[in-house]
Amino acid sequence: MLIIRLAYRNLFRNARRTLLTILLISLSLTAMMLTDAFIRGSIVLMTETVTKTFGGEAQIHRAGFLETFDSDLVLTGAARLVEDVRQIDTIAAAAPRIVSGGMVSSPYNVTSAQIVGIEADAERQVSRVSTLIVEGSYLSGSEGEILIGRELANQLEVTLGDRIVITVAEVHSGELAQALYRLSGVFEFGVAEMDEAMVFINLTDARRLLQLHDGAHQVVIQFSHPDLATDLDHPLYALGDDTMEVVNWLDSNPEIASMLSMTSYSSAIIGMILFLLASLGVINSMFMSIFERIYELGVMKAVGTRPFGVMSLVAWEAVLIAAASATAGVGLGLVLGYGFSIYGIPIGEFEVAGISMDRIYTVLDSSQFVDFPIYVIILTFLASLYPAHFASRIVPALAIKKTL
Amino acid sequence: MNEPHRQPVIKTEHLCRHFGEGETLVKALDDVTLNIERGEFSALIGPSGSGKSTLLNLIGGLDNPTSGSVELAGRRIDQMSGNELSDFRRDHIGFIFQSYNLIPVLTAAENIEYIMLLQGVPHAERRRRVSDILDRVGLAGLGERLPPALSGGQQQRVAVARAMVSEPDIILADEPTANLDSKSGISLLEVMRELNRDQGMTFVFSTHDQKIMERARRLIHLEDGRIVKDEQRV
Repeated sequence: MLIIRLAYRNLFRNARRTLLTILLISLSLTAMMLTDAFIRGSIVLMTETVTKTFGGEAQIHRAGFLETFDSDLVLTGAARLVEDVRQIDTIAAAAPRIVSGGMVSSPYNVTSAQIVGIEADAERQVSRVSTLIVEGSYLSGSEGEILIGRELANQLEVTLGDRIVITVAEVHSGELAQALYRLSGVFEFGVAEMDEAMVFINLTDARRLLQLHDGAHQVVIQFSHPDLATDLDHPLYALGDDTMEVVNWLDSNPEIASMLSMTSYSSAIIGMILFLLASLGVINSMFMSIFERIYELGVMKAVGTRPFGVMSLVAWEAVLIAAASATAGVGLGLVLGYGFSIYGIPIGEFEVAGISMDRIYTVLDSSQFVDFPIYVIILTFLASLYPAHFASRIVPALAIKKTL
Repeated sequence: MNEPHRQPVIKTEHLCRHFGEGETLVKALDDVTLNIERGEFSALIGPSGSGKSTLLNLIGGLDNPTSGSVELAGRRIDQMSGNELSDFRRDHIGFIFQSYNLIPVLTAAENIEYIMLLQGVPHAERRRRVSDILDRVGLAGLGERLPPALSGGQQQRVAVARAMVSEPDIILADEPTANLDSKSGISLLEVMRELNRDQGMTFVFSTHDQKIMERARRLIHLEDGRIVKDEQRV
């Protein structure tokens, strides 16, 4: 207790230095908390963008479809498959899609695009296409409707109600087929690839165009909880076999998966750098404190304090500084983290792996308030061991040589 | 007045402390053999660089000799190391330094209590001894003051109290009056002289101060690391 009391009082001997050290450590902790909250926020944004905007949390295809996008790889009996999927507990929604490459032409221009046939109502449950219409209206299910992206509309020089012709190769015969549509809506995903080269038509129109009676190329699925998507024991994944693959969003977006994995590493690296800098600050501060009172430490040893006692004194000072820093850092991190979770952090126009971001909302997590402060206290303690060891080895005769 | 026990508390034999080597070799202490008996009130005197401080360091176990031996209270302290030496200093030696050297964040009473805490003396016993010793050194009622709130003389009295509260075999005092005015110095010396007379406590000073030399019963003259004169006084 004496050592702790002494350590506590020593902190106030050079209050400015103690305060600066606390500031350094607490700001490092706050920075680490905010970095983690920011990364969590960007992961949530990326995940939600990928899963909620269009891709869904899982997809079912014929084996090999994802690699080739070959329109011959069709899921036959898609309607029944979708119904079976919807019967599984914890599946929130499922919708079939037809996907095929084709030519899109207007009276003024022609370009290639990906033609996506969707079931209007079911699609509302698995993607945000219906909410991204900036002109006209979403599909109603009536024959001849088409939605195109803003960029594609500009390219084709078409406005609502204008005629658009789609040319595709029929799935089984390979014969060219054409159909005429009237522009019913313009969407804007904010992702260049989608706004320039994607069109949506009704599933029935797509089936007719491609001569697919009850087939589909993919079934897009949303779970009742996002975490279920990565649970490979979920019954949905048992549907997969040699001819049909069930993949979650990480598998169907490998570039996003590797980016998320890299994000975790970068969080750890940033944390290590911050804590390393803070540790160096602690070591520096403790050494300054030791040299400032080396005479006194010499006297303490001279009157019988064991080396471990001196070491404990310095280590306790560091732990008390760390505890104060952790408290201050957590407080500041909570205020800033909460603020940014409400108002977001503007990052300008930013697109990563096809995902457009302009503002990231921090995500607070209990680990930031429990684990990180514990790391700070442990690392500060470890950083103090070097100066503490040095102090414990002070030779009294040298420390007080001005007198004795 | 208690009769002091006439038995050696310190024995050094052929004690040497050399610094550097070759052409830079300095013989700070050279073949010093010395006995100090229990209850002595002795002073090491000599010019600066004569080896007073080095000898006091070696007697106090604060430094290791190059050769020779130091025996204190019947034990070879030059052969001790680490915790053993720390514990020995704590239990057998009291130090008084030139610049008081109190722990500034502890009160006068806590500074005195410090060594007893290291010794594991029970709380009630500590408080009693602190109160007694503060009375004896004339600081009754000042125990709760921090060192900066005490005068130089008062701080040195606290240092004396700290040195003697654990009832060590010997008190080593390095220029204890050097930073005090004449009146405070005399007053402090009277306190120490009284402790020596009443309790038979052994004091060894390193000093240039005439007031100490006048009161010491033995003057050990050092020059160039050697004892050149050992003067017993009545």
